[in-house]
Amino acid sequence: MTKLAIVELKLLTREPGAMFSLLIPLFILVVFGSSLEPGDTVLLPMALAIAVGLVGLYLLPTTLATYRERGILRRLSATPVRPANMLVVQLLLQLVLAVVACGLLMTVAGTMLGAHLPSRGLLVAVAFLLGTAAMFAIGLLIAALAPNGRTANGWGVLLYFPMAFLAGLMQPKDQMPVILATVGEYTPLGAFRQSLQDVWAGGAPDPLLLMVLAAYALVISIAAARFFRWE
Amino acid sequence: MAVIEVTDLRKRYRELTVLDGVSFSVEEGEIFGILGPNGAGKTTAVECVEGLRRPDAGSVRVLGLDPVKDGRELRELIGVQLQHTQLPENIKVWEALDLYASFYARPRDWRRLLEEWGLADKRDARFGKLSGGQKQRLFIALALVGDPRVAFLDELTTGLDPQARRTTWELIKRVRANGVTVVLVSHFMDEVEELCDRVAVFDGGRVVAIDTPDGLIGGGDAEHHMRFTLVSGDLVELGELPGVTAVSRTGNRVVVTGRGDFATTVTASLARHHILVSDLRIDKRTLDDAFVALTGRSFDPTH
Repeated sequence: MTKLAIVELKLLTREPGAMFSLLIPLFILVVFGSSLEPGDTVLLPMALAIAVGLVGLYLLPTTLATYRERGILRRLSATPVRPANMLVVQLLLQLVLAVVACGLLMTVAGTMLGAHLPSRGLLVAVAFLLGTAAMFAIGLLIAALAPNGRTANGWGVLLYFPMAFLAGLMQPKDQMPVILATVGEYTPLGAFRQSLQDVWAGGAPDPLLLMVLAAYALVISIAAARFFRWE
Repeated sequence: MAVIEVTDLRKRYRELTVLDGVSFSVEEGEIFGILGPNGAGKTTAVECVEGLRRPDAGSVRVLGLDPVKDGRELRELIGVQLQHTQLPENIKVWEALDLYASFYARPRDWRRLLEEWGLADKRDARFGKLSGGQKQRLFIALALVGDPRVAFLDELTTGLDPQARRTTWELIKRVRANGVTVVLVSHFMDEVEELCDRVAVFDGGRVVAIDTPDGLIGGGDAEHHMRFTLVSGDLVELGELPGVTAVSRTGNRVVVTGRGDFATTVTASLARHHILVSDLRIDKRTLDDAFVALTGRSFDPTH
């Protein structure tokens, strides 16, 4: 298990997609952050949501669907190791990647851009974990349903853009039509961004939004488990 | 001693019967071939033996274990090379071997395997950069890294060039020489003829014959063809000669079909009548012919 994790970590660092998930949100942060007002509470939550969304919707399903397509999961089931170990290792590593991406964003934003960093770490962690769980659940569902890695990649991208738009990641929420902004708040990515933003603004996230995230994570994970095939 | 005992194995997928009462046994230390056209049920049968699939009915024993119930224990003792499996593009050869070695309780030293399988200079190469033959050698090495007692190799030379196939064959013989029982799934006649001690011929989800390759070729109605071109003289009646079953003639080309030592009789008769022939050829019966004789269909290796 340890060796599997080490090898998969090495493979992850060799994967260009992993670099993209780190660099794209960073790029957005730096480009828009240069004109940031001190103490801004909007941009950094947006960048964090983008980072987690990319890992969950794009990298995770692509990796898993490719592993199934290439028969890697199947080959594992012919060894004394269970292929479920691979699933666990992948989920953990992608979680680590999401944490690293967010850590990087917060460091850059906090030190170079003078963005506001929230003081209530526990609330940040809760919002982050629930949001990541919801994103990863969607990623797992894509991996379960997509016939191969390329399709998974396509579905991930296809889902990402409308979700990012509704979540207010393409443009600030107050410039969106009211109805879209309201609906968007209850999409997985939208609820995630809003929860983070609430924490950033010094308050607590709306419990309803946290419950929405938890519900997405739970229901979609169950669907993913139901449809997942090893081969 | 039989290391694998398969009795009356059955498997259906909806309306399609894939295995229809398959039985065979594999003896310790042999290379056992499973031969048949695509869709004959070869891979399904082997996957039931490996514990990757659950048969609908029938019993399977491998090294005294039930592949479904004792799966984990069994997988310590077998090595598997699967059809259509790949590794991640970016994994290095040594990493793959090191990783797979870590899956087993008592693995072999993968560094030795690297040497044995001629991959030492590819140690740090990524899987995606390997040639077809190198990938295949890596897959076999991965199948052996757990120090198995039985190795299952499925269609391992498909897609290799003739020279790489030859090389792979030599390596398979070495696996057996090291005391590992080998189950070889193939749709190549020449491969099975070259490597296997015994062969089970699959067709339509059944085993239609189990024998040595020589036994299969010699068995049944062993008919041979003798071909020649008439150079001078008129062809006499050959059909009445002992052993001859058919004579056909197209222009100057003559094909005589017969059994046993009919060729000697035919050539003697031609000489007696002063008939001069050229391009005389006697076709040895092959495993292809044996397959036709067993199933009544031709075996088409190009699917």
